[in-house]
Amino acid sequence: MRGNRTKASCALALVLTLAGTLTGCGGDGGGGSGGKVSLRFTWWGNPDRAARTEEAVKLFEKRHPDIDISTSFAGFDTYKAKLATQAAGGDAPDVMQLDYRQINQYATSGILLNLGEHPELRTSEIDKGLLATGVVDGKQYALPVARGTETMAYDATLWRKAGVPEPTLTWTWNDWAEAMRKLAASPATKGRVGSTDPGQSEDVFEIWLRGQGKSLYTKDARLGFTADDLTRYWEWCTKLRKEGAVSSAEQTTQMDGTVENTPLGRLKSVADFNWDAPVSGYSAIVGEGLKMAPFPVGEDGTPGQYFKPSMFFGASAKTGHPKQAAQFIDFLLNDKEAGAILGASRGIPANDAIRQGVLPKLEGFDQVISTYQKQFEGKLKDPPPAPPKGDTSLQGTFSRDYDQVSYERLSPREAAENYITEAKAELRQ
Amino acid sequence: MTATATRPQGAAPPATGGKRAPKRERQGAAWVFLSPWVLGAAVLTLLPMAVSLYLSFTDYDMFDAPQWIGFRNYTQMFTEDPRYWRSVVTTLTYVVIAVPLQLAMALAVAIALKSVKRGKGFYRSAFYAPSLLGASMSIALVWRAIFNDGGSVDNLLSGMGIDIGGWINKPGWAILSVALLTIWQFGAPMVIFLAGLQQIPVELYEAAAVDGASWWRQFRSITIPMLSPVLFFNLVLQMIQAFQVFTPAFAVSAGKGGPADSTLVYTLYLYDRGFTASHMGYASAMAWVLLLAIGVVTAVLFRTSRAWVFYANDTNEGGR
Repeated sequence: MRGNRTKASCALALVLTLAGTLTGCGGDGGGGSGGKVSLRFTWWGNPDRAARTEEAVKLFEKRHPDIDISTSFAGFDTYKAKLATQAAGGDAPDVMQLDYRQINQYATSGILLNLGEHPELRTSEIDKGLLATGVVDGKQYALPVARGTETMAYDATLWRKAGVPEPTLTWTWNDWAEAMRKLAASPATKGRVGSTDPGQSEDVFEIWLRGQGKSLYTKDARLGFTADDLTRYWEWCTKLRKEGAVSSAEQTTQMDGTVENTPLGRLKSVADFNWDAPVSGYSAIVGEGLKMAPFPVGEDGTPGQYFKPSMFFGASAKTGHPKQAAQFIDFLLNDKEAGAILGASRGIPANDAIRQGVLPKLEGFDQVISTYQKQFEGKLKDPPPAPPKGDTSLQGTFSRDYDQVSYERLSPREAAENYITEAKAELRQ
Repeated sequence: MTATATRPQGAAPPATGGKRAPKRERQGAAWVFLSPWVLGAAVLTLLPMAVSLYLSFTDYDMFDAPQWIGFRNYTQMFTEDPRYWRSVVTTLTYVVIAVPLQLAMALAVAIALKSVKRGKGFYRSAFYAPSLLGASMSIALVWRAIFNDGGSVDNLLSGMGIDIGGWINKPGWAILSVALLTIWQFGAPMVIFLAGLQQIPVELYEAAAVDGASWWRQFRSITIPMLSPVLFFNLVLQMIQAFQVFTPAFAVSAGKGGPADSTLVYTLYLYDRGFTASHMGYASAMAWVLLLAIGVVTAVLFRTSRAWVFYANDTNEGGR
């Protein structure tokens, strides 16, 4: 009797556990509150951005006592996956921060609200060129928040102590590699390497490519480079890694999208490539000596670096309160006080008036970013066209394939071929 | 997911018997009481399952309508995706390491606790607590921090002269740290073992002691055979759970399955395909293959159990 029952419950448990395999976990329900309009606002970023965003949100709630904003944020990778799931489930947040790469997909799939139809949202002061990047099929689905560009963040104190010539506006990739070798070899850097291994970063690869007159994607949404190009890049990185000029696989692999877990953030390197807005996150770790340098240019002087809209705000097509959502976005983008609070935490503001107001008041690192950007005006090539649908997972694929190279499981050539195969499949070529 | 594993005891169908009330009337009452569960099962389990089965034959990026592509996802998985096979090997490695060690831990602690006279409740909850906490993301993140290079485990080991330089950034060690996180959560099988141990008649041990059997001999000849149904139950359940390991691998590798895909367990790759790469159809197909694979492995276990699982009522004096 006991035996049979054990068998029966064992079988039942089995069926239920198996069923669990297929369904996974549930989501969280939305909630309303009595009388008040409540909006969900989600974004990616770091604690510094979080503090300023919360302050701005509080100010908005004070001015609009009838609107309640609940915010949540995450690191970029997590945010991307979560937002995609919410969007697919028809549960996108009322107001969301969006990346350049998401605009096309989200707009064409009917997830974003056409903000052009909302007069509460003023766009007259936003840089025309940047404004156009949020337009899909003639409709303004998203508004650019700020302008960003790439940079090499570095510890200038150590750099100087090591006696390496400081970066210039026209330094080439060869100059960069030479500097990294010298930094790593110098006793002043106490066992730190020169830089994070750039092999894992598709963003760095893009700038490197553009310095040679190529691009990640062509205008007709095909790959703009070949397996040969990628092999050359990864072989170059591998050489630097083996020389000890850039971070080891063990250090590089700990990166998770936050500044704190980069080799520079862990004080294991002297320099790191990143976008300019998140660089302020390093200053708490590295301290006074933190400086920003332009990306190296191609050997013939071609700059690869470009200005891009650093991020966008959009609203859900399904939001129950489109008017309030538009009001909130308007506040974040166009309100002077909000602009002062937010500063350059999302990049140098795209709104001309706010930017003029903010620039002189910028303190500490924001000031550094704005001066940093100023030196490029009129000198950079046009930004690439918005990335095609299907590229969203390729950044991850890029660093994963390079992981196989840095742990010496695959040769640069094999990994590059793998990447090209997957990229073609994703782009449906 | 773990919640479903504990449900069956409560939901087990009553043993057949009783002839008083007319059959239909009794069934009606049963359905009334069962309805919340049946409704939940239909809406939260069966319906999603059906949708998932449909999606597994489609190309679905979560944004545009799914497109029927027949068995394309399945053929791609088996013939064109090396990372799929890497995730299969990683998962099998994990199952082979984690399940036996976890059951051994559970049994060892259960045996130790059985003879504890004072503070039984305290020790039981103390050993059970990790199972409640361990499945959570926060503990997995703590795990990541202490096994990271410069973390406390790493510092302790290098203080003792064993310089690993972090576990989670070395392909060979990372999966081990994931397995350790599971082994530590042996509370559920331990409690079941404890119940099983207490049902073994004391006379058997007394008789063996009279005959001069050593502790080891008693363990081998009395404890293990008498406990074999419980052992089998635990083995099957823990194995099913181990095949679906996700949280620790996700947290330890920051969601990427790294370094160099060494912690890319099956469900993590499934998550990556579905939620990061937006290939929901492919992810659904992976889920169904996992279901079938677990089914097959479980069936095999049931087969072999005839050789080693011993039910007391198979011989004579069962029951109480």
